[in-house]
Amino acid sequence: MDRNQITKWFKAPAKMANKYSLHAIYFCTGCGIIEVPPVITSRWDAERFGVIPVATPRQANLFLITGYVSVKTLRAIIRTYEQMYEPKYTVGFGSCPVNGGMYWDSYNTIKHLDKYIPIDGWIAGCMPRPEAIFIAVTHLWTLIDKGMANGYIRYRENYKSYRRNQEMALGKLEWPPLYPIDSNFEEARRE
Amino acid sequence: MNERLKKELESTFKDILVADSGDNCATVTIKYSQALAVLRFLKDKGFDHLALLSAVDWIEEKEHELVYILTRYIQNIDEYRDESKLHLIVKTRIPRDEPQFQTITGIFPIAEPYEREIHELFGIKFEGHKRLTPLFLERGYKIPPFRKDFDTRKYVEEVFDKIPFAENKDK
Repeated sequence: MDRNQITKWFKAPAKMANKYSLHAIYFCTGCGIIEVPPVITSRWDAERFGVIPVATPRQANLFLITGYVSVKTLRAIIRTYEQMYEPKYTVGFGSCPVNGGMYWDSYNTIKHLDKYIPIDGWIAGCMPRPEAIFIAVTHLWTLIDKGMANGYIRYRENYKSYRRNQEMALGKLEWPPLYPIDSNFEEARRE
Repeated sequence: MNERLKKELESTFKDILVADSGDNCATVTIKYSQALAVLRFLKDKGFDHLALLSAVDWIEEKEHELVYILTRYIQNIDEYRDESKLHLIVKTRIPRDEPQFQTITGIFPIAEPYEREIHELFGIKFEGHKRLTPLFLERGYKIPPFRKDFDTRKYVEEVFDKIPFAENKDK
């Protein structure tokens, strides 16, 4: 352990523990997931950075969105994201979640994933190298230290507009809102 | 191309065009009224594997083309010969205005998901298909998206680009 971090441990032990044990949900969207098996296995052992894949969203606090997001996948992404415990961090992996990438004029691919769920960081490239995941993780540590990885707080604050965007893309959602939405919003949606 | 099979096909069916297209492929072009009979005939001749069922939109000729690719399963390696590598590409064209065709799930049960996919992406209706429900797509489309007159760029501008950002970025 780094000695100059001891004060940080005393100040905010929970934050430090979160930071060094990022549990990534093993959620496969698109082609980018092909980079994840070498990352978690022996060649680029991700556990050096405290990142391990977990099976269910209830155990995870890091969400890597790997690759293009179709409309059907977006529904699963939102459900998974809402099931994760706070604090939770999302990283868009590859150029497709950023702005559509090579699927920018596709009939069924979501452009700009940050319109639907909050994103804390992006890894650009098609494909990014496995090392890029570690660079992203170390950046994420800095962001967590500074309190800038606040996607889950922004989601709570702007839930109204996030939910509106989700319904614009997917039609009526079959699950209830995660956070309470006031009655004015309901009326605006009906119009 | 197996000469005997070609002769048999040409003697059994009218208006059939069998051409060798190299690389162990042969193209069989047939009118749509006879397509089912040809597929059944070929299945009896040992082409029991439907490798692909696909469609092509020929917008200028106002026709949809259905493409069936048939091969053989080889049960025993001793039976393997060069001619058993042969892929038959059966092509038939249907009018584009009211795209409708008979299902071939009675002959090749594996065609079921292929036909659902083509129904969804090209709007071709398959008579007799028992489960012609949506397969992949979540959104409704006025024109099926794989047709040539579907303007993807315009659709993206109208749908996905109109959705605003959820947060005010200037804050």
